[in-house]
Amino acid sequence: MDPQNHTLTGQPVPWPAPAGSVSTNGRAPDGSGPVTAQTLMTADQFQDLSRRILTSINTVIDGKARAAEIALTVLLARGHLLVEDVPGVGKTLLAKTLARTIDCSVSRIQFTPDLLPSDITGVSIYNQSTQNFEFRAGAVFANIVIGDEINRASAKTQSALLESMEEHRVTTDGTSHRLPEPFMVVATQNPIEMEGTYPLPEAQRDRFMARISMGYPDRASEIDMLSTHQSVSPLEAVRSIATVREVAAMMDIVDAVYVSSAVKEYIVRLGQATRENTQLRLGASPRALLQLLRAAKAHAALDQRNFVVPDDVVTMADVVLAHRLILERRSASTGQTASGVIAALLDGQPVSPARSTRSGVQR
Amino acid sequence: MSTDTSQRPPSDGAGPRTPRRLPAAAISRPRLSAAPWAMAGAIFVAVVGTSLGLNGVLRGWSWLILVILTVAAVLLTTATARSLRVPQAGAQLLGLLALIAVLTELFFSSSAVLGLFPTKDTLDALGGLLRQASDTIISGAAPVFPDTGVVFVICAGIGLTALLVDALAVALAMPASSGLGLLAIVLIPALIKPDSLGIPGFLGGAAGYLLILGFGQWYAPPGGTDQAATRSTGQFRRAAGLAAAAVVITALAALLVPGFSTGTFPQGSHLNAFGKVSGLNPMLTLGNDLRQPGGAGKLVYATDASSGLYLRTTTLEDFSGRSWEPTVRDATQRLDLSAIGDDKSTNLGGDLLTTITVVESSDFSTPWLPVPYAPASVSGLAGRWSWDPETLAIEGINTTSLQQKYTVRSVMPALTSSVLSQAAQAPPKALDPVFMSLPKDTPDIVRQRTGDVTAGAQTPYEKALAIQNYLRGPQFSYSEQTPVANGYDGSGMDVLAKFLQVKSGYCVHFSAAMAVMARVAGIPSRIAVGYAPGQLTGATVSLGGAQVNEYQVDGHSAHAWPELYFTGLGWVPFEPTPGRGQVPSYARLPGTPGAASGRPDDSLNSGLNVPAPSSGTGSASPTPVVTNASGPPAANAAAPLWLSAAGATLLLLATPLLVRTGKRARRRSTLRTAGPGQIPELAAWAELEELAYDYGMPTATGDTPRTFTARLLRGPLRGGQPNVRLSPEPGPGAGTAGTAISGGPETGPGAVRVLLTAYEQRVYGPAEAAPEEPSAGGADSPAKEPEGTQHPLLEALAVVHRALRAASTPGRRLRAELAPPSALPWNRGSRAANRPPSKPPG
Repeated sequence: MDPQNHTLTGQPVPWPAPAGSVSTNGRAPDGSGPVTAQTLMTADQFQDLSRRILTSINTVIDGKARAAEIALTVLLARGHLLVEDVPGVGKTLLAKTLARTIDCSVSRIQFTPDLLPSDITGVSIYNQSTQNFEFRAGAVFANIVIGDEINRASAKTQSALLESMEEHRVTTDGTSHRLPEPFMVVATQNPIEMEGTYPLPEAQRDRFMARISMGYPDRASEIDMLSTHQSVSPLEAVRSIATVREVAAMMDIVDAVYVSSAVKEYIVRLGQATRENTQLRLGASPRALLQLLRAAKAHAALDQRNFVVPDDVVTMADVVLAHRLILERRSASTGQTASGVIAALLDGQPVSPARSTRSGVQR
Repeated sequence: MSTDTSQRPPSDGAGPRTPRRLPAAAISRPRLSAAPWAMAGAIFVAVVGTSLGLNGVLRGWSWLILVILTVAAVLLTTATARSLRVPQAGAQLLGLLALIAVLTELFFSSSAVLGLFPTKDTLDALGGLLRQASDTIISGAAPVFPDTGVVFVICAGIGLTALLVDALAVALAMPASSGLGLLAIVLIPALIKPDSLGIPGFLGGAAGYLLILGFGQWYAPPGGTDQAATRSTGQFRRAAGLAAAAVVITALAALLVPGFSTGTFPQGSHLNAFGKVSGLNPMLTLGNDLRQPGGAGKLVYATDASSGLYLRTTTLEDFSGRSWEPTVRDATQRLDLSAIGDDKSTNLGGDLLTTITVVESSDFSTPWLPVPYAPASVSGLAGRWSWDPETLAIEGINTTSLQQKYTVRSVMPALTSSVLSQAAQAPPKALDPVFMSLPKDTPDIVRQRTGDVTAGAQTPYEKALAIQNYLRGPQFSYSEQTPVANGYDGSGMDVLAKFLQVKSGYCVHFSAAMAVMARVAGIPSRIAVGYAPGQLTGATVSLGGAQVNEYQVDGHSAHAWPELYFTGLGWVPFEPTPGRGQVPSYARLPGTPGAASGRPDDSLNSGLNVPAPSSGTGSASPTPVVTNASGPPAANAAAPLWLSAAGATLLLLATPLLVRTGKRARRRSTLRTAGPGQIPELAAWAELEELAYDYGMPTATGDTPRTFTARLLRGPLRGGQPNVRLSPEPGPGAGTAGTAISGGPETGPGAVRVLLTAYEQRVYGPAEAAPEEPSAGGADSPAKEPEGTQHPLLEALAVVHRALRAASTPGRRLRAELAPPSALPWNRGSRAANRPPSKPPG
């Protein structure tokens, strides 16, 4: 393993970064050595920490507890999050709050049509003094990368980010540079109908573990928001709660969550159902099912369990699968949505293997 | 290039198609196309098999081939239509058209176009056939000769039944209810004639019905998301096995249930495969009893009279209908048997003849008590009996003559020719007019003959003698078969007319002829139904200190004779039937040999006029002692019939409850003693699901354990939100997985959560991480409870049950407890649809 991967630093930029610029708030994640949870974390600590993180996010964003839950779930499942909605509902605020709650390196990229791939990945610069090419890390070298309005950039720039998301490494000039762990991209996106957007191709949408919509806050939350946000942003008051090491330990706990064959089978049956569904042109890929499983594991851990139940899968199915499925044209024209199809599939898919086992019990 | 394109499937050019939809269609097609034929075969077996039972009421088998042709035509048409994917209603309509065509071809081919299409002439012919059939059905006694009319009606009826069964089993997808159609066929022989639904009819119908049920499961109409996976050979086996077990139980129960011997259809409701229950339903069954080769039942009596006695059961006096019936007597006309006394119609001034008779009815079963005329007192009867002073009939009140032993004292004026000839001309005013009334449609032939026969007679006695001797004359012959063969079996005025032409029949016809002719001649009359004296057994019985002869009566002795009313003397029996019974001394003309004992077929009279044996041992007891019993009484105890019938009904109604209770008990034992291979958590969960089902909260296909319990907690078990969603604030200090339970396990929600947690832990959790048990030696089952304490899951189930009961309406509660929906067979299908094709974990 290349030790250099973990000692990369970017230029310190004051938070929050000015819009339209590439900024990194890189911080060396706790000295040297790979960030694996050498420190064992108990289930109690896990619950305590996760509860505090969620509480912290909820003080900043009113009435979006579910979005916060999913964001934390995706973080712990080592996935990337796509937040899609109209401007002004708090997409970026959610991403920023999550990043700020965790004491880790954060970079924010405001995607614009003129943004270049090297702005993201970094560039090799010839160092006169050492007579050598030296890699200048791009904005992607951070624990949490906020990609704002990702669909405003050109396809080439988008793919530069998306490749590093999958690989967790950046390769320039034949050298590969490992990204810090944990690594999470929270991208926001405007609906594709809006002006000046380049829709993400299917293959790239597939890299995001989950997509959520913020939605408008309800009446009470909106009133709260108006009173708390009028003078000073509550974001300023957010203190970091968990260290990178702690987050890594939490991830290890999620990894250790037990998945029974019954649940695996349920996930596979769901996936097959999406592929056989006549309303869908494209069903769920194996990668989608793998991500669904990981999301379900994280959900189970956050729900104080060390094993996955089908409800974890059901809860995460929509946010994990909906943005990957492509509707048949005639279905789309009749107002059908991917979420609707998924809901119907979940309703029609028997969950519990116990019913077939039951006959065995009775004998 | 041209060859390439020709090999391409045409669909390729039609545009982009998704290939994944093809396999499903390809799989389902061959599966479905065999279904109509298999189902049609099953229905054919069921309908034709059931109609084999009609052999009991029809003579011969000649009708069967026509029935087979009809049913085959109908079912082939519907099956063909279905395999060509004609809509269900269309297939039924085609079947109906096929039925009309085949009936036209078989019965009206001469008047139809091409032999298939009915014309106006066909309708006229149809009317004729229907009239013929209705005559046969109304007047005939089973088994009737299958004339064209009857066969036509049977073919049409069974053809329609086949169509109905087809509609129920296939079109409406309710194979179980197709039994209703078959029942219609079964009912015909069962109602008309006792014991006539033979073994072949029962077996054929049952086998066909089982096939229908089996195929009905196998070819269940597509529904649900995984219809292909729900069909399996196992289901066919299970369905057929269950139904076969039901048939066996039915057959065994039929041996235990004695059947009904009172009511509209005595014995008609009873499948009596292994024995005969006799009885006498007046007129209707009399002919059948006579024709029974073995004779039905046996009755033994001993009397101190000098010869055998007629045993009377009841009388027929209302001749106004299509068949003659006992007058409907309401309760006010019937007195309790304790009121029995002397015959009020008789002026008992002269010499009286008193006889004592002891009757042992053993396996004779009739609502009317066979007694010698005229009963003045009866003793030794069990059950409640009523007495009709008008007819002197003794009728049981919810009881029968089965297994009775009783002593009758009969009192009758000593009748002689001289006494009778002095009887007054005009009948008394007090006499019920029913004994004199004649229907308007009395045939002319009856009036003519009566006039001819009684031309020279002056007194009623002379007229009566003239009529009796005319009927006993050489032109008339006794035959039990001729009326059946000529289609005038039965009773009624038109039958009588035919009898007077053909001059052949049996006691029903002779007695009816004499009774009607007597009324025409102005003498009140009625028909007595009962038994001719029967035969000596050879044994003697001690009765009242004297040894008296014992007689035996069986179904062959069933008899009917006229009783004529003579003013001052009362009802006087006559014997117009040649070769049956014995002509009373007063009814013999001096010049004639009287009793037709010279006839070769007069076997019944032989040995009747045996002198009474001299008194023997001289026992003082009036109770007879059978010195030479011909055999022990039949062993079947006369258990109260209604009790066993009610028991059977209750058992049937309680079947769901029993099934449910049995399942529950098995799960409870699984919970108490978790043996190897038994998983208590799954048993508890299954029980919870069924409990919820019984209380109207069924599981849905896509239900996860949590959505299911969440629905329970939202509905009947309201009282807290379940822990379905990840809560934003996980419970403080919640360390162990799944312990965030608000509300203790003694509350409904708490108990549901206990069950949910245990189930999830068991099914989805890691096996060795069961919280109750630190994995010791790789033990797979969770901690066993110490002896004596309730398993926590059992307790939780009880709590949930209580909570569900408390939250339900009384009606729902009653249904859930007494007829649990989860155990009803028609609910199994919907529950089975929930079953995923997956294997259990591990």
